[in-house]
Formats: sequence, C-alpha cells, structure tokens
Amino acid sequence: MSRVRSSLIGSSVPKLDAAKRVIGDARYMDDLTLPRMLHGKILRADRPSARILGIDTSRAEVMEGVRAVITAADIPNHSFGHGRDNTPLKGEVVRCIRDEIAAVAADTPEQAEAACRRIEVKYGDLPPILTTDAARASGARAIHGDHPENVALTYHYDHGEVEQGRRASAHVVESTFHLRYVTHCCLGVSGVVASFDGEGKLTIWSQTQVPFLYRRDLAAIVGLDPRDIRVIQPFIGGAFGSKLDIYPFEPICVHLAQVTRRPVKILFSREEEFVASPTRQPAEIRCSMGCDADGNLTFREADLVLDNGGYTSWGATTPFVMMQTFSSLYRVPHVRFDAEVVYTNNPYAGSFRGYGNLQASFTVESLIDELADRVGMDPLELRLQNAQEQGEVTGQGMVISSCGFRECLEGSTTAARWKEKREEYRQQTGRVRRGIGMASMLHVGGGAKIYRSDGCGSILKLDDFGAVTLITGASEIGQGSETALAMITAEELGVKLEVVRVVNDDSEIRPWDVGVHASRTTFIAGNSARLAARAAREKLLKAAARLVERPEQELTIEDGEVLEQATGKHVMSVPKVIRSLHFQDKSELVVTNAYYEPPSVAQDEKFKGNVSATYAWATQVAEVEVDMDTGIIRVLKISAAHDVGRVINRLGCEGQVEGGIAMGMGYTLSEELLVQEGRVRNPCFRDYKIMTAPDMPEIELILVESLDEEGPFGAKGLGEAPAICTAPAIVNAVKSATGRRFTGLPITPERGAREFMKDAQ
Amino acid sequence: MVRIECYSAPTSLREALQLLAKYGDRARVLAGGTDLVLRLEGVDRDLEGALVNIKQVPGLVGVRAVDDVYRIGALTTVTELREDPVVAEHMPVLADICDHFASGQIRNAATIGGNLVNASPAADLAVPLLLLDARVRLASLEGDQPRERELSLGDFFRGPGVTALEAGELLTAVVVPRPPPGFRARMRKAGTRPAMDISIVSVGVGFCVDGGLIRDARVALGATAPTPLRCPAAEKTLEGRPPDAATARAAAQSAVEAARPIDDVRASAWYRRHLVRVHLEREVLHVGRG
Ligand SMILES: Cc1cc2nc3c(=O)[nH]c(=O)nc-3n(C[C@H](O)[C@H](O)[C@H](O)COP(=O)(O)OP(=O)(O)OC[C@H]3O[C@@H](n4cnc5c(N)ncnc54)[C@H](O)[C@@H]3O)c2cc1C
Repeated sequence: MSRVRSSLIGSSVPKLDAAKRVIGDARYMDDLTLPRMLHGKILRADRPSARILGIDTSRAEVMEGVRAVITAADIPNHSFGHGRDNTPLKGEVVRCIRDEIAAVAADTPEQAEAACRRIEVKYGDLPPILTTDAARASGARAIHGDHPENVALTYHYDHGEVEQGRRASAHVVESTFHLRYVTHCCLGVSGVVASFDGEGKLTIWSQTQVPFLYRRDLAAIVGLDPRDIRVIQPFIGGAFGSKLDIYPFEPICVHLAQVTRRPVKILFSREEEFVASPTRQPAEIRCSMGCDADGNLTFREADLVLDNGGYTSWGATTPFVMMQTFSSLYRVPHVRFDAEVVYTNNPYAGSFRGYGNLQASFTVESLIDELADRVGMDPLELRLQNAQEQGEVTGQGMVISSCGFRECLEGSTTAARWKEKREEYRQQTGRVRRGIGMASMLHVGGGAKIYRSDGCGSILKLDDFGAVTLITGASEIGQGSETALAMITAEELGVKLEVVRVVNDDSEIRPWDVGVHASRTTFIAGNSARLAARAAREKLLKAAARLVERPEQELTIEDGEVLEQATGKHVMSVPKVIRSLHFQDKSELVVTNAYYEPPSVAQDEKFKGNVSATYAWATQVAEVEVDMDTGIIRVLKISAAHDVGRVINRLGCEGQVEGGIAMGMGYTLSEELLVQEGRVRNPCFRDYKIMTAPDMPEIELILVESLDEEGPFGAKGLGEAPAICTAPAIVNAVKSATGRRFTGLPITPERGAREFMKDAQ
Repeated sequence: MVRIECYSAPTSLREALQLLAKYGDRARVLAGGTDLVLRLEGVDRDLEGALVNIKQVPGLVGVRAVDDVYRIGALTTVTELREDPVVAEHMPVLADICDHFASGQIRNAATIGGNLVNASPAADLAVPLLLLDARVRLASLEGDQPRERELSLGDFFRGPGVTALEAGELLTAVVVPRPPPGFRARMRKAGTRPAMDISIVSVGVGFCVDGGLIRDARVALGATAPTPLRCPAAEKTLEGRPPDAATARAAAQSAVEAARPIDDVRASAWYRRHLVRVHLEREVLHVGRG
C-alpha cells in the first residue's frame, strides 16, 4: 500500500515575515540609521520647462548643519536611464516638474530642507509642451535635442494581413480609449542610504527590485567599479514596478556621501513621492476589431500614443507587453499594432504592475463586449468561442503550453451566476441600476526573456542541526516570494517549513537574478530553489544509503527524517546524516547551488518568439450598482478566476488577487494623478483616492490549476495578473447597467453623473 | 519642522487660558492633532510660539444634559459622539455622520472642538450641529478669571479656516438646545468613497411634520460656500408645505440657487450644485417618511 503524504504545496501559510511586520520589528528604509549619518534633500525645479540660467548655492552652504551642497557642476553627472536621456542633476534644461537641480546634505532633514529653500536658481521659463499632440505638431520644440520629432520610441508589430481580415468581417467596432496618470502609492516612500568605507567601497541600502542590474547601472552612473558596490535591500514597503529603474535621487545620495565622507540618507516626503516617483503611462489608444457573422474574430488594429513625459524610463517599453495582448488575447488571425512613445514636459512614466497590460486589456476587452453586442451573442459565448487552448501557438509565436483560459471563463461566470444575473439586470430603468460584466487577460507567467538571461541563482546550505538556508537571487518586495520559495524548498527537500530560512537582501552573498518583474519570481526563482533542493536531497539520500548500507531507492526524506520508502519506518534524522558528512574523514558540506534559465527565447526584431516559458490567464466578472443621479458606482462583487498553474501558497494567492483587484478598482473608479500644466495637483492621499476597506466588494476567487509542465510543482506567475482585467470587467458591467460605455478612466462619480445626466434628459 | 518656544500640557482651564493669553496669536491649541499636525508641516511650518495641549484640562470631555440644553465638551471625540447614548437618543443626526467620518483611528483622536475651530467648509460635524441650532462657548481670561461668551455656530464661522475665535480664546463646549418634539433630521455626505473622504458636499435637512405639513424646517449645507451654512431660502420653501416630491424639488432648487460652490481638485462647482439638488431632494423625502 502506498503511503499518502501531506503536501505543503497548496496550503495556506502566513508570510514568514508577517509577525515581524505586525509587531514593528521589520526595519524599513524609514527606520535605517547609521552612525554619523547625514540627511539629504533635493531641490526640484517646480516648473515643467525652463532653461537653467544660474544656480547660487552660497547662502545654503553657510547654514547651520549643512555639510554639502551639490549641483550638476560638482559631479560627473553621467547620463543614464533606458533612453540615456536622464542625468542625476540637471544643469541646463528643466524638462519636468520633478527635475533635480541641487542637493544638500545636512545633520538633520530639517536643516537640509531649509538649505534647499535658500538655493537661488535663475530660470528662463520655456513654454511647456503638455500634450502628445503638441509635442508631435510640426515645428514643436525638441524636448531632447537628439529627438527632433519628440518621439522617444516607436513599436510596430503585425501578423497576417489586416486588410484581408477586414474584408472577412461581418462586424467591425472601433473606438478611442483614454487612460490617464495613476501612481503606485507604495506605503513605504522612496529612500536610499549610501555609505562608503575607508577603502572607497560603497554599501547602498536600496529598495530596488533589480539589485544586480542596479549595481551595474549605478556603477556606471557614479563612476565606480561594480565590484565595489554592495546592495542591501531592507524591508521594502511595496514597489509594484516603481523600483525597476534607477532614479536620480539614488546617484545623488551616493555623490553626497562621497563629498561628505559620511553616510547619507535621502527619504522622500509623501508629497515628493507623488510628484517625483513614476506613473503608469497615460495612453491614447485607437483600436478597431472585427468578427465574422458567427462571432469568430477576424482582425485587430491598434494605434497607440503614450505620454513618455520628460525622460525615458524602463516604463517606456510597455508597448512590448501591450502588443502581446493585442496580438494574442483570443485567437486573432490578422493584427497590426503601432505605438509611439512621445516626449512631453509632463512627469515621466515608469513601469507599473501589469506593464501596459491594463491599458491594453481595457481596450481589447471593452471592444470584445461591443462586438458581442453587434453579433447579438452573449459576451461569454463570444469569448469562449475565440479562447485559445493548450498547444496553440499565437500569431506572435507565444506557445500556449498550459492553458486554463476556458476554465477561467467558465469558473468566474459560474461563481457570478452570469446567465441568471444578466437576465435579471436586463432593461433597467430606475435611478439605481445593477449590471454585470466580464473581462479576461493574458500575461507572461513563466518569466520574460528581455535580458540575455532570464535566470535566477540559488545556494542552499544545510547546517549540522538541520537548519536550511536558501540564499536566493530573488528579492522580496512584499509580494510573499520568501514564503513561496521556502515552501518549495521544504517540499522538495523533505523538511519542515520551520527549518527553512531565506536570505534575499544582500548582493554580496546572493547569486545573480534578473529581478522582480514580469510576475516571474515564483516561477523562475522557485524552479531555481527546487533544483538546489533536489541536489541536496540526492546528496543526503546517497549519504544515508551509504551509512545504513541500503539502496538509495529504498529511502526517502520527509519532515526532516530519512524513512524507509515503502513502510515509512524511521531510519535516521537528516541532521545526523549531515553531521556524518561533515565530520567523517573525507568531510563534505551539504551546500548546493543551481541556476535556472527558462526555456524561452528573446523575441526577434519583429517581436516574434516565445518570450515566456508559459502564460497566465484570468477572467474577472464584476457586478455593480450604479446611482444614476450621483454617478457613484459601487462594485458589489468580483468573481475572479486565475490560472495559476498550481497553487503554491493559497494565502499568498488570495492576497495577490485581493490586492490586485483593489488596485484595478482604483484605476477604474477613483485614482488619478491630476497633472495640469505639467504639475501634480493632488500630491496627497486626501485627494489621490485609493480604495479603502469599505470600498471593497465581496471577492470570490477561483484558482484554476492547469499544472504547467515547466513550472515549479506546476505553478505559474500571478503577481501582475489580478490588477489587469478589473477595469474592463467593471466598465462592461456599467455598460450593461446603464447602456453607457466609458472609454476613459477613472469613472469618478462626477464623470459618471455627467454621462448619466444625458440619459435623464 | 517647527521650532517652538514652549510646549505645555496645562491641567486647568485657567492655566491653559493664561498660556493662550501670553502667546496670543503665536499659540496653537493642540486637541486631537489630526488637523493641526498637518498644518505644522504646511501653513504653520514656521510656528515659533507655543503649542498648548489641552487634553489634560478637566471638564472638556463628554455629553451632558443641563436644563434644557445638551452640553458637549470640546474634547469629546468623534468616536465618543458616535457611541454616546444621549447623542444617539436626542441628536441621532450627529451620531450618524460620525459613522462616515474619517477612519476609526482618526475618529479616536479627532475632537468636536477641533473640527469646528479648524473651520473647513467641509467640516462634517458642522452640518448636523447647524441643523441642531448649536452654539459654541468660548472662554478667555478676564483679569485673572476665566469668562465665557456664547455664539451661534452660524456667527462663529467666518471663512475657510477662519472663525470668530480670538487670540487667547479657547472653545470649551458646544451647546445644543433640545430640539422641538418630533423633530427629525438627516444628513448626507457625498464623496468618492463611503468613508475616509472629504465631503464634496454635505447636505442636511430637518423638520417636524404637523398635520401633514412641514414645521421648523432647517437646511444646512457643507462645502458649498466659504463656510458651512444654513440655507434660509430652502427652509422657507419647505415651511408649511407637505413633505412630498414637489416640495422636495422646490427646496432643492432654492438650495442650489443659494449655494456658491467652487471648482477644485475634488469636484467642479457644477457637480457640487448637482449633488446639492440630488441629495436635498432625497433627504427631504426621507425625513418626511419618518
Ligand atoms: C486622515 C484624515 C481624515 C479626516 N477625515 C475627516 C472627515 O471625514 N470629516 C471631517 O470633518 N474632518 C476630517 N478630518 C479632519 C479632522 O480630523 C477633523 O477636523 C477633526 O475633528 C479635528 O479635530 P482635532 O481634535 O484633531 O483638532 P486639532 O488638529 O487638534 O485642531 C484643529 C484646529 O483647531 C484648534 N483647536 C482645537 N481644539 C480647540 C479648542 N478647544 N479651542 C480652540 N482651538 C482649538 C487647533 O489649534 C487647530 O487649529 C480628517 C483628518 C485626517 C488626517
């Protein structure tokens, strides 16, 4: 009789660091302090566009407590960023409101701030370019001299023959969508501590999501050897993509530390966080889509203009992800996609959970509903009919190796009682109306090969008491990777979760990883940890077999004990095996390592190729209640079905999905960074409205397990997915309730009321 | 950040008033601090005088019935108002709004005195208190002795952040006369979120119904003008008419005409007027239904 062994995989485990966070033991950037540490503050331009005519720091320099004042003239000021168009400090031109003009290091933050206010800068204001239209108009001033047309980047993608698709269409819908600025709202504001030792080696405490690329990039900006930079990540209070880039405050802090020969800390105020951290790309998307008389999709065409703001960050490459949705969400034989990323004097966008996919899915899923209307099909049926299945390859070359798309469509709609509610909510006329709507998404779920390697390294160390330390390249930014990786390690090795510790904060000890992005950590770092654990397990089994003189195959390891495979009879404990290895004649350590590189490829110059080892699918159904008079839209329920491959930590999945829905709802209904005249008008939580607990609806979560062959225990990525299709689901529900289609976000109560008023007249 | 000369937590009213008298307009009273602390990082960043924490001053907390009025101490918190049995029974409109005020943490700190002295046009406690004809008691030193004066809330508010409170004065209590028998009132706070939101507008209405007709009509509006205020025009429209749809519509029209809202980041003047109309109409009918 085979023994049934309980598995950790799929159970609900609270985050390993939860207690620390709750009792205040977790040290965030805010808590960090070093002996003799100074505080840095940055003077920002506070105008969107100008020439810098002169900077006088003399009055600031003589102030009490001030140790250094620097401007562009005082530092190497190497250009950096994805487009190499940014510099730590600006010496000649101001291109956006947050531009860094000078920086002060002083004994206290208050002194540094006071000194900043004493720096006199003479500006010659230039008329700001505030829209992408103005930036592209002929004769417009070039914001960066080397981009005379103000176009930072362009993307073109196609497959099939769109004209042919048009001709085959019985129905065509077309619309233009407008997405505005939102920002990450990490609870922990941006900050950094830089400290040099006597030999000129730098230790930097950073919130970066990509410590190894960060080290390389920072070295180039500040002119150090990357080997002389040690990156330590303290507890990070949220990132959501905002910490994928290096931003000027980081090299500025390094230079202040260099000049003063003392540790320096820069910590943003909340207002600064709103003004000087990145946003999601505002986008204007014109899209048309067709289907034949039976509802089979025929073609899709999209033209996008993205507002880059003053500089190019990694976030400017979001069309790369957007095009995946346009090309491959549902089966579409003919697709064309063109995107232009345009410089303006607005705040600059960065990467943000979903990486362009929120904008793309909003567009595609809104139009899918419109098409269903035209054909006279239930939107669920139209989606099911066009949904891909396992084994298909999309026009862009994405290989659907595992696919829970159908299960997501069916699971979410069953939970939501779709058919019944749709019937119930048909033809409402009152001032309070209900509706139901749905939307799906497709996102990379097995990493994304955008660097030469999409890999992650792990080192696993077992000590003589049986304590297991996983040293991983993967970073913890609050997403719970530490817990998932510990679970995977414990499961593979055959030890209790309690004995596993994860080291994930110090570049000096950790092996390389590309970073936290593309929902990749559980998949990539999980596979890496699993490989290292497997190697250690093999070593232990071999040693145990030798000790008890039995064949290896007859033994197994469970809960830290070596057992007889067939009967479960105790043989010896794992620590005993380890000690026997350590302390024998030919002593040996149980330390293993692994590097996992997913079987994906970098896309070719036509953006084709299987960029991820697997893909994640989801469908969310929203049920809403709309007050036609006040314009307030209340979300009553979200039924969310996510193809996660395999659940590793159930609690972690639930947290990811609930948090993602809160973000998605904010994007839809309330969040907007009001940028007017290049300035942020609502740099505070009072007026930038994120969802709060009472806003949250009932959430019914269906975790679809498609068991991906490549994923660790079958798992795939879930990090970004939950935020991606909430907006179109809600907007489709509002349409079903009111007959009004919103093509712009957010639908604040005021915007809703204006639209619904038209109905009353 | 502030560099103040003096921080003090006096333990008697007299001591508090002495400090306020000494520092005059260079003193700031600290109650719950939920508005003040933000000011100290903003408009009051350069404050150099005194911070007078009044939380130790006895006699400023709680709700009591005295003769024919209810006396609410200035330091009574929003949480206390929300849970107080006297408020629940005699001033339910005040208790109700406390449920939509900020969050639990803020409500535990925020005081009624602070809400009124801060004098935001959107102050949530102002609207129900205006409906209840509340008055404020202001104490100061006369020679060596405390004395108090009383003002109607309508006279107390002068503009955004500006009140009739003079340097050296402390708000000690809010006094609410017993409402007429059968008086019912409701208030509606309109914002993006169900809680933790600054009112875009707030609308309050209260009246008695006598023989099918409205009597003692009171209408108050928040965030529609430089101060929260009563709306006599709408009250006149309501008075003596049945609480039906036509009356509600007419009262809403008068209120919209009286409102002088602004455009700001939270809403346009158009939307504020629109909400005054929608909510007043709804609330008149609600109060009428009992
Ligand atoms: C997150 C958040 C949410 C909020 N939500 C709401 C909301 O929903 N609705 C709302 O109306 N307000 C809200 N507020 C504002 C604030 O909480 C209230 O106005 C609160 O009632 C202020 O009371 P306090 O005791 O904290 O006042 P403090 O901050 O201590 O004082 C406010 C002002 O009044 C003065 N003062 C206080 N007490 C006296 C006194 N007895 N005599 C003379 N002067 C005095 C102070 O000097 C100061 O100028 C919110 C604030 C925050 C931070």
